[in-house]
Amino acid sequence: MILPFHLVKSCGGFVFAAQGSDIHTFSSALEHVSTWKYPAQPVDKPHEPSAETQSSPAPEGPPAKRRKVEDCQDSVSIGQPAESTNGKPKSKKAAQYDCPANERPFIQGLYATADGRHLIAITGADKTIWVFEHDLAATLTLTRSMPKRPCALALTTDNRTILSADKFGDVYALPLLPSSTSKSVENSTANQSSPRSTTSSIQTPSRSTTPSAKPFKPQADPLTVHTKRNLKALEAQKISLARREAILREQQQAANRPQFEHTLLLGHVSMLTAICVGTSSSVDGRPREYIITADRDEHIRVSRGVPQAHVIEGFCLGHEDFVSRLCVAPGGRAELLISGGGDDDLFVWDWLHGTLLGRAGVLEHVKEVAGHEAASKVALTRIFACRWEGVRVVVFVVVECVPALFQFELLEDNTLQHRETIPLPGNPLDMEAIETPGATPRLLVAVYPGEEGGSSLIPLDKEEAGWRLGRVENLPAGGDANIGDEELQKILYSTESLRKSSDFD
Amino acid sequence: MGGDKIRKDKRQKREDYRAAIRKEGVSELPRKKFYRQRAHANPFSDHQLIYPPHPDQMDWSSLYPDYVVDEPQEQQTPGPETPSDLDLAPLRPKRISKEVEVADIGCGFGGLLVALGPLMPDTLVLGLEIRVQVTQFVEDRIKALRVQDQEAKLYRNVGVLRANTMKFLPNFFRKGQLSKIFICFPDPHFKARKHKQRIVSTTLNSEYAYVLRPGGVVYTITDVPDLHEWMVQHFEAHPSFERVPEEEQEADTLVNVMRTETEEGKKVERNKGQKHVALFRRLEDPAW
Ligand SMILES: C[S@@+](CC[C@H](N)C(=O)[O-])C[C@H]1O[C@@H](n2cnc3c(N)ncnc32)[C@H](O)[C@@H]1O
Repeated sequence: MILPFHLVKSCGGFVFAAQGSDIHTFSSALEHVSTWKYPAQPVDKPHEPSAETQSSPAPEGPPAKRRKVEDCQDSVSIGQPAESTNGKPKSKKAAQYDCPANERPFIQGLYATADGRHLIAITGADKTIWVFEHDLAATLTLTRSMPKRPCALALTTDNRTILSADKFGDVYALPLLPSSTSKSVENSTANQSSPRSTTSSIQTPSRSTTPSAKPFKPQADPLTVHTKRNLKALEAQKISLARREAILREQQQAANRPQFEHTLLLGHVSMLTAICVGTSSSVDGRPREYIITADRDEHIRVSRGVPQAHVIEGFCLGHEDFVSRLCVAPGGRAELLISGGGDDDLFVWDWLHGTLLGRAGVLEHVKEVAGHEAASKVALTRIFACRWEGVRVVVFVVVECVPALFQFELLEDNTLQHRETIPLPGNPLDMEAIETPGATPRLLVAVYPGEEGGSSLIPLDKEEAGWRLGRVENLPAGGDANIGDEELQKILYSTESLRKSSDFD
Repeated sequence: MGGDKIRKDKRQKREDYRAAIRKEGVSELPRKKFYRQRAHANPFSDHQLIYPPHPDQMDWSSLYPDYVVDEPQEQQTPGPETPSDLDLAPLRPKRISKEVEVADIGCGFGGLLVALGPLMPDTLVLGLEIRVQVTQFVEDRIKALRVQDQEAKLYRNVGVLRANTMKFLPNFFRKGQLSKIFICFPDPHFKARKHKQRIVSTTLNSEYAYVLRPGGVVYTITDVPDLHEWMVQHFEAHPSFERVPEEEQEADTLVNVMRTETEEGKKVERNKGQKHVALFRRLEDPAW
């Protein structure tokens, strides 16, 4: 079947949209410019733009012979992180066998740096973060790929560090671009963009190249240093047979540890679902960064930014079901956080003080679309806030499997007021605003078309008479993927699976 | 099938026993054999845990009934009253006059709690335990002790909760609420791949630092040298903690209590094993 577009991202005056494992580039007028295809073969020279820049927009032949998506997709979202935490062996296996290079994994996240210079993609099955350089003229160049599979990403405000939040509950800091000191190490991994070769490259590590040994660290970091110290201490002791085995295993794990700089910043003992960066000024008036993380166990945690990420400043507590989305309010309202997930309501917080300021019902509006009987709960998949007509701040909300956008307004008194429900001809998967100077932003929504089919990329313009659904002309067709509807839905609708079943222990 | 039957009978017996013990006013101490449970509970899985969404919503009155504050039925609060205000404060549990200040994480059968209670009669002490039956044993134990000590009114200040402390500490305690945390003979999880399940880790230490006030102390003890090393390294490496010097440690009376009164401590004593102690002080957060 033809895959729908499922992610959209504005970046440096262009719009990027993911469809399966491809990333299409559009101009801000929504003309298709080019397409980046997930490398079917290991890419040889990612540092030479010519080798790696995107293919022409001309349609290519059908990609892989067969996509075994079931194996490829991550089973993380199915709820119980417990099983999978115990190990590298499992994930290693996944990387080696489950997803041969010709079975391209879905893009699971698209992120852009604030300056528009870099686009970052996460692919699920092969556990990779891809960093693209964007020359602000539609050319996308793969700069590096890192074997890491986050559930969510955020960028620090200086656009230089990726914060990667994973299902084990940990947040790592990764430099967006390799620092010069580690270039050599970096190249050895970056050269091998396919999951398979990446795996092989990290099987023969040398201790000296482990991240903890790098001079780049802003300060001696306890979170990476301890394992080494630990190992040493262990070695110093008389080693029983059992212990020797344990050490071997630990060394093996160290060997599987990725060979690029990454620093553990903080961790929850729960699957992380969302991460964002908030700023506030400190006592001396300088801006301070905070890392806000949400987990499946209803927590929203506020930690200080690097280099004090070990300090938990507070929590925003009150959710009674999983939290799946966080959004710091734009438009000079950065002290406000909007969150949502499995609860019926959206929450508005003063995030730095952990104070709940307001709640706004979502379920009641979902019921109006989906029927009062049919809809009994909410699995929120997007909170998108932007400035509107200069001063207003509007918040669009997407709920899994509900064919509408819910528009709220963030009022002066910090409450959210439902304004409008915008029906769509399919379930929205992602949305983005295309800023047009002076005018109200244009919305771009990726939808999973309903039975009647139709376009999967829909621009929405606010006009006097209401919302006008536009069309993107000459959409790239996209390859015919060998994937069933059910499998596809499992990938695209994974948020509801975060909910805890109430009947097991 | 026969096995099934036997198991059932046993379970029935256990249940009958526990039902009898739980009757109000029973002063007989519970017997452990009716509360045994598998040694390990996975801290990563969901379980069916009950915890408040926010510490303000925790109802402590049933754990510490002697400390309940008699409040005239709350008259409606003056000021702007919008429906959303009510939404924001859904649950106002009965207040108690003190806050829990000492937590025993993974308290097991409660030996330490029961020793600490009379030693710090003006402080509320709370045991947290993930295993249901074990928690119930401690609950019944405290109940019986309270009945036995009608006169002296001891043990009114100790309580126990079933909780997974690796996930839900901030649901029970506010920032800086605690002055002491005990982590006594935690499960060692020897295998490297199980180290993630250890109750001490650099990332979890940030949570202990969060609920502890500056100057507060984490007490650790174990008979496993590796685990001792591990705890020392992880706390020492964490910028929010410093190790308490040995001299000061040995001068702390609670250290001895922890050595001798925990069930595990007693077991180790019987087996003539070693006990490794380490204390860590919560430092002030640096300026930010
Ligand atoms: C070896 S026992 C020690 C009991 C007691 N502290 C003593 O010294 O006698 C460790 C206890 O920690 C409990 N435990 C383990 N993980 C826990 C968690 N995440 N939350 C609460 N309790 C936990 C176990 O169920 C067990 O009862």
